[in-house]
Amino acid sequence: MGSALAAPLVLSACDIDPPAREVEPQGSTATPEPPEDAAVVAAVVASLARAISVLEAASLSVPTLGQRLEPVGAAHAAHLEVLAGAVPDADLPTPAPPTVAPRILRALNAVRRSETRLLREVRDGCLDASSGDLARVLASIAASTAQHTAALSTEVT
Amino acid sequence: MSTLDALQTVLADEHAALYTYGVLGARTSQTATPALYAALTAGYRRHRARRDQLRILVEAAGAEPAAAAPAYELDGRLLRPPQLQAAALTIEAESAQSLLALVAQSSGDVREWALTEATWSASWQLELGGSAQTWPGAPELD
Repeated sequence: MGSALAAPLVLSACDIDPPAREVEPQGSTATPEPPEDAAVVAAVVASLARAISVLEAASLSVPTLGQRLEPVGAAHAAHLEVLAGAVPDADLPTPAPPTVAPRILRALNAVRRSETRLLREVRDGCLDASSGDLARVLASIAASTAQHTAALSTEVT
Repeated sequence: MSTLDALQTVLADEHAALYTYGVLGARTSQTATPALYAALTAGYRRHRARRDQLRILVEAAGAEPAAAAPAYELDGRLLRPPQLQAAALTIEAESAQSLLALVAQSSGDVREWALTEATWSASWQLELGGSAQTWPGAPELD
């Protein structure tokens, strides 16, 4: 899963295909800045790890939520798998397990807040990325996060 | 591909999406299937605004916006509500893919706009009977 993009991210830490800055008139010969995306990837990896820890804590506090939260957890695990290869092992975050109240509505609200924060952070990463390929991956992660958050909001509690 | 090329490609896709949404809406009964009618109407309005914004962005880049074709071919004869809903779902899936390509080929305000629109198309798929995915708009990563 994700091998098509994981490889370039691993090999070059996003030294791929930087887009032209802003919309340029035809014939423009502006040279893009060198990409420096390691910090962007590290920040998104940390955000994903934090969001996954919230999902795990919510599932532990309210076991009946486990099945409902499994799809978003699986999606974030896949997102993390694609990006984590670009971060040195020493920099992989291990967030402290958050405390989630053992009540279904409070746990769901904690997850929604966490996912909303993740969406904002991934969007920021997408906009900051020098690499067009990385920006595209982060945009897809943002879209996935928005979908899962919408699904959680519309499902009957 | 340049940012301008990507903008023109998305604009051409939006012309087709807008045409298709129009056909789907015309074949939907507001009385018999009000939720579908509302979803298609909202989709049509969003894509119309998107097309208009793309024209502005292309003109700002000093080019002539890609023109719409007189008509577009639809897959099969779409008449029943599930078929109409599925066709709209396909539009949004393809739009997300097209907009993600623009995200990759742009920066700054254009990228931010493309990201917002791609996220909307992904989320709107849930209103059209779709489900949340791991890699919306980037199916090769699945």
